[in-house]
Amino acid sequence: MRSERYIPYVLVLPSVVFLLFLFAWPLLEALLLSVRNSSGWTLEHFQRMAADLYFKDALKYTLLLTLTIVPLQVGLALGMALLLGSIAKGRDLFLYVWTIPLGISDLAAGIVWLAIFTERGYLNSFLQAVGVIQQPQLWLSYETPWMIFLAVVAAEVWRATAIVFVILVAGLQLIPKEYGEAAEVFGATPWQRFWKVTLPLLRPSLQVALILRTILALEVFAVVVALGGRNLPVLAGEAYYWYNAYQNPGVAAAYAVLILGISVAATLLYLRLMRTKQEAVG
Amino acid sequence: MAGIRVENIEKSFGKFKALSGVSLEVRDQEFVVLLGPSGCGKTTLLRIIAGLEQADRGRVWIGEREVSGLPPRSRRVAMVFQNYAVFPHLTVFENIAFGLRMQKAPAEKIKAKVEQAATLMHIENLLGRYPAQLSGGQRQRVAVARALAVEPEVLLMDEPLSNLDALLRLEMRAELKRLLAESRTTTLYVTHDQVEAMSLADRIAVMNAGQIVQYDQPMKVYQEPANTFVGGFIGSPPMNFLRLPVEGQQARLASLVLALPSEVSGAEVLLGVRPEDFEVYTDQRPQSFPAEVLVVEPLGPHLLLTLRFGEQLLKATVPPDFAVRPGQTIWLKPQPGRLRWLEPTSGQALTAR
Repeated sequence: MRSERYIPYVLVLPSVVFLLFLFAWPLLEALLLSVRNSSGWTLEHFQRMAADLYFKDALKYTLLLTLTIVPLQVGLALGMALLLGSIAKGRDLFLYVWTIPLGISDLAAGIVWLAIFTERGYLNSFLQAVGVIQQPQLWLSYETPWMIFLAVVAAEVWRATAIVFVILVAGLQLIPKEYGEAAEVFGATPWQRFWKVTLPLLRPSLQVALILRTILALEVFAVVVALGGRNLPVLAGEAYYWYNAYQNPGVAAAYAVLILGISVAATLLYLRLMRTKQEAVG
Repeated sequence: MAGIRVENIEKSFGKFKALSGVSLEVRDQEFVVLLGPSGCGKTTLLRIIAGLEQADRGRVWIGEREVSGLPPRSRRVAMVFQNYAVFPHLTVFENIAFGLRMQKAPAEKIKAKVEQAATLMHIENLLGRYPAQLSGGQRQRVAVARALAVEPEVLLMDEPLSNLDALLRLEMRAELKRLLAESRTTTLYVTHDQVEAMSLADRIAVMNAGQIVQYDQPMKVYQEPANTFVGGFIGSPPMNFLRLPVEGQQARLASLVLALPSEVSGAEVLLGVRPEDFEVYTDQRPQSFPAEVLVVEPLGPHLLLTLRFGEQLLKATVPPDFAVRPGQTIWLKPQPGRLRWLEPTSGQALTAR
């Protein structure tokens, strides 16, 4: 039947239209917004962004958060995924418990950790109860941005390690167990087996997890807002304040484009550094 | 180089008893095949010897060392896996070198050993390639070369040819035989293919339901099966088992009277005869019995006849130019030296001659 050749196209059309309308078009609009003003093409928004008091801190903290959170999450998730592999009984229980945070929104996660770190929160109550401190301590103030930073790291690691974990568990399950067994028979210690066999074979999954988590970490916003407001400025937060508080979509768009630029650069870097050898692709 | 000795190995998976007290000795430089149907425990036994599986009970020696508690890496064995398990992220060279790298061998030694093993397996021109660029047969060669390169005390092979197509399997079989005859590496080889077992083995250990039922040279196992299982499993078509009435020290086959090797307690006895061990005539001869031809199958080198003797069916092979058609009655003369007598209830052979 001749007409059947069109069916796949008809079936993918709604999703393509949806994506074009809600992603591609806004993306293009944001790009244009950042490089245009009422009189035409300009770099004014980027200059204004760069000259802003918060810009350097926002860039610094965003990159620092990403560089701290992503390795922590990947390391933790890898450890958890490997541990899960050697659990025979109750494996599903661990799997489900470890993936519970997947179901929690980032703002909710931020509020949960705020409830811990706030002046009358769980941490202070606990420390007071055991007698470590006499007065409630102010943990999350503008005077101690490093404390806010650590709280954000804790909240993000708690919230989003699960997604890396799920990707790596799936990746580990794809590796036939004969490879590990062959390595064992040919004299590899557990440590050598991990470095020489498991890790290289897990590379595609690691790449996916790293790219995904890095992009999401560069966009970190809700957790930061909940825990520190603007006391810990980040790029996505600045975009939000410029758009909402300052009513300046141009500079907001410039921040958004900057995040996009860094994300693309990071992704390309991962793809290049972790390139699966062309020959090895079946 | 070393022999292998296992004693009273028992292993269960949940409620399934995979091995129930298996003992086996492989002599130094011997090629032993573990042969049996799937689920008989042959691969489990091999994996216990490799250390990839822990036995519930029993002990394993390689050479003079008891290795029962040791991890695989300390057992000085090499293994060829059924699906090859050639590392996809390493070149052929690095795959073959893997075991030597783990031993931290010096670079010149690694290069020399890898090239030697690769040359033996005729893959010296593929050393720079990745497994994805190789055919199944070539990957198989890499897997064998990787095992040979470490010059193991003992070589374990788990159905190494079963993933190859028929023609390639035939070629690799002969090549393996040549190779291992040269290197004289002690080898334990698992297969469910009786032809492979017959062709390769110095001795065959036939396994069934978690036990070794016979352990002997291939021709002995073929001609003098220990029980009906071995006779039926080895040989294609399998051995015929005719149920015959017993009269004193003799069994009666139609008008034929055959001497039994020993006293039989029951009223009946089983006669095991291979299909090729009949002389077949179209007219009545002395020392023969009549049977009706049901089916004639021309198979090229011979005709396969399905025959009826009383209520029992049997198979016989005759030369391809033998003139016979269904419905005809023919006379079969069993070759006296090739008869096997078995006890009908237990299926065990009466005596080993």
